[in-house]
Amino acid sequence: MDLLFGFFAGLGPGAVFAILGAGLVIAYRGSGVINFAHGSVAAYAAYTWNELRSVPSGSVGYEGGSIFLPWFDPIPEWGFLKALHINNLPVEIHIMAGPPAWLAMLVTLLMSAFIGLLMHLLVFRPLRNSPLLAKVVGSVGVMIYLQAIASVNFGAKNRSDYGFWEFSSTAEPITNFLGMDKNLPRSTPYLAISALIIGTIVWLIYRYTRFGLSTRAADENEKGATLLGYSPQFLAGLNWVISSVLAGLAGVLFVHKAQPSQLSLYIVAALAAALVGNLTSIPGAVFGGLGLGALASMGVSATRYSWWPDWLPPEGIRAFAPVLVVIVVLYLRGDKLPIRGTVGLGKQPLAPSTKHPFVGIGIGAFAVLLMSNIFTSKWESTLTTTLIAIMFMLSLVVLLGFLGQISLVQWSLAGVASFVLIRLSSNGLKVRSTDFFVVNGPDWPDPLAALGGVAAAVILGLLIGIPALKIRGLQLAVITLVSIVAVEDLVMRNKPIMGVASVTTNPTPEPEWFGQYIGALDESTYRNDYWKYTLFALITVCLASLLVVNLRRGLTGRRFLAIRSNERAAAAAGVNVARTKMLGFGVSSFLAGLAGMLIAYKLPMITSENFSPLAGLAMIAFAYIGGITTVSGAVLGGILVGGGLISEFSALHFEGITRSYINVVGAVGLVVTAIFTSGEGTALSVAKSAKAMVVGMRGSSEEPNIVEELNEPIEETV
Amino acid sequence: MSPLLETKDLTVTFGGLNANDHVDIEVEKGSFVGLIGPNGAGKTTFIDAITGFVPTSAGHTRFDGHEIDELKPHQRAQLGLARTFQSLELFEDLSVEDNLMVAAQPTNWYTLLSDVFRLGKTDPEVEKRLDWALEVAGLVGLEKELPTDLPHGQRKLVGLARALAAQPNLLLLDEPAAGLDTAESNALGGHLRNLLEHDITVFLIDHDMGLVLSVCDYIYVMDFGKIIASGTPEEIRTNREVISAYLGEEAGEVQARSAEELRGISHKEGPE
Repeated sequence: MDLLFGFFAGLGPGAVFAILGAGLVIAYRGSGVINFAHGSVAAYAAYTWNELRSVPSGSVGYEGGSIFLPWFDPIPEWGFLKALHINNLPVEIHIMAGPPAWLAMLVTLLMSAFIGLLMHLLVFRPLRNSPLLAKVVGSVGVMIYLQAIASVNFGAKNRSDYGFWEFSSTAEPITNFLGMDKNLPRSTPYLAISALIIGTIVWLIYRYTRFGLSTRAADENEKGATLLGYSPQFLAGLNWVISSVLAGLAGVLFVHKAQPSQLSLYIVAALAAALVGNLTSIPGAVFGGLGLGALASMGVSATRYSWWPDWLPPEGIRAFAPVLVVIVVLYLRGDKLPIRGTVGLGKQPLAPSTKHPFVGIGIGAFAVLLMSNIFTSKWESTLTTTLIAIMFMLSLVVLLGFLGQISLVQWSLAGVASFVLIRLSSNGLKVRSTDFFVVNGPDWPDPLAALGGVAAAVILGLLIGIPALKIRGLQLAVITLVSIVAVEDLVMRNKPIMGVASVTTNPTPEPEWFGQYIGALDESTYRNDYWKYTLFALITVCLASLLVVNLRRGLTGRRFLAIRSNERAAAAAGVNVARTKMLGFGVSSFLAGLAGMLIAYKLPMITSENFSPLAGLAMIAFAYIGGITTVSGAVLGGILVGGGLISEFSALHFEGITRSYINVVGAVGLVVTAIFTSGEGTALSVAKSAKAMVVGMRGSSEEPNIVEELNEPIEETV
Repeated sequence: MSPLLETKDLTVTFGGLNANDHVDIEVEKGSFVGLIGPNGAGKTTFIDAITGFVPTSAGHTRFDGHEIDELKPHQRAQLGLARTFQSLELFEDLSVEDNLMVAAQPTNWYTLLSDVFRLGKTDPEVEKRLDWALEVAGLVGLEKELPTDLPHGQRKLVGLARALAAQPNLLLLDEPAAGLDTAESNALGGHLRNLLEHDITVFLIDHDMGLVLSVCDYIYVMDFGKIIASGTPEEIRTNREVISAYLGEEAGEVQARSAEELRGISHKEGPE
């Protein structure tokens, strides 16, 4: 009976998955992009709806009824600019206080359509001929951008909730549903029916109208459709708008349940739903979404039975259901999933090998030591944040840069290393007098515990890598994206595995390697003020950099690049593709694990928030901006990342660009980098430009065309 | 002595269609064997089947004394079975030298460690092989270039050099002349003929009659997935069945020549 009720209760969230999934299918068919930002569009719509309809609690005199356009006013409010009354971008537009539901709905959907149009014009149209990684990164950029801009524009205000009609949370639940003695939210049946109606309408449009027919034609054969007189780009734009409107609809229907910010991660379940429909079938996505909701909810109901194992908590089930669906669907279909015939796959970014790594590493290490000596404790912490980010981005250079495997899950692996390290070195006693919680554990000595943490990351990384043997490109990105949520809920937040009294806070033990205390926290002042930690992090990063440089210079790096370039040809040249790929996943996870170790040694406590999906995607974003194929790119990315040197420095000196804006800037930089540097990133592009300039100044006629080639705009990323 | 490569009843089926239908072929060590046939005859499928890129539905392949039916493509390559691709398939973001290096130097379980600690020195054997492959393909001086910066004809040669760099026992060439103009095609023929002096057996696939007739010792003719004839160049030139299937009724060498020239021109105007 519990399971049956679980089935019905799951149709509510399932309906949201269904509508989101249908939107993903439409965007994919229109432009060949899997839009990771789809959930964020829904979230922005939900925020907009909330802002229109509700009053933030505690803000007296505020009426709501405004909309916020999806950007912020970039001109800082410095005295003289303010005095000049330079009003730049309009952001807030007041509609009316307490608009009726139909008007709010209309405005919200228009906003979604507007966002869809902007995404098409500013991001995906310019990226249409770019390499796959650039497209993935572009949509990740949009996702980060929308989330960041939503937090800038709407803040973290808790709103009293006004849904509408039966979708309102204040609506009476259906008591004693079907005689099962349980209360079902009144919205659930309405949501399920809405999903079916919306799905049917959209399906009919695509099945029977001329527009639907031409979209399908362009999907099958872009060139052919062009020759028949359809503009694929116009069709793509229209499909983006429709897809975004569906996302907006899902967002509005959903907001009665929870805060809009949660919607961004509904992308995971929506992807699973879309994959059930093979990314092309709207009915498949709708029924897939409903089924997935029901399946997850039944799984959660099942956890109440006594036979259910403890190590599979309900949150884990909810997160794991879509992961299971995605992995099963993708793995079973193997190569047969549709790879859209994109015109011109584009060139992969170059990954040059470094001839004199010691010069660069030496200069970098010297700079770090110098800064460490000058800086106060706050800045020392910023410095080590940058070092940690560099360490982590080296793992991305190996996996995404050299091997070309678009894995989005590496940050979670760093998290796993942190958590396992803490668990292994704990002994169930309080570490600091201020700790609220204790961790039970076998009390391993420190280098050993660190080794255990890194090993756990490597093992998990290899497991996640297994699907990569059969699944490539976009589908791998999908699998690894859903894996992020699975790792978070199933491993990091898993109390039976991690042995923490609270699922949120893990106090980190104080690390001692061979008798030397190397943690970042000063035991008496609790400040990040310990030079030994900085030195330890610096040495780790230098060694890892050397490892990556040597890997690239050696046979392994060449084979990685060969696989990235052409798996068939690599196999024909005698390269064991499967083994080499696993090697890449292993090395990358090892480096990510080391980053996790540095984090565990730095912070007084770890929560799964440190390794949230957004944080991980932002890491990839900045690594991409810096340059995903080089060590220098990783260094630049680490300097740029939020909490790193640049962001803290600008937060100090330019009040306009505070920390909350860094992800907006990062996301814009990401999209710009993706469009203009064909993925080479800033470090490499600048290096090439510099070289070209030197060649130009010498007046050498050796490579006359290189200057022109490299004169693309690059510098606006910072 | 058994032949270097031998296929028995090799059959490849694509959804009910036999792309290769009970193909028997023998390639003796030290010979230069050709396989010709019109477009769509199943020639490339045959190379894909031998090298393990498409699964076979029946038949056996023996290579250098090994049954290789169960082996994966990279294992077959490691046995000394190298191939080129019709559509280049170079590692476009690796330099010419690195392209060759991937094929030239085998790796093992400790390669990663020796890379990371820079213990491994470049094997002089490998260096020699690399230089030799570059020389045979006429690419000396272009080691540091990226394949994308080279003209099409030279890119074809990079593909050839990459296959040679492994110093294979048998070299399978899939339409090496496709996309080349007449002069380049003739030059290629010269390069290919030289290979025999280096103890490499060659199996050449092309639909360019002129090239195949001029360089091969023995020729198989394929049509609709079946071998319809085989013999020396003279026998093939005069075989009525071949002429009707492939060249048309009034065919002769003259027509083959002019067809070849036409093809050279049209390829020059093409998108390449």
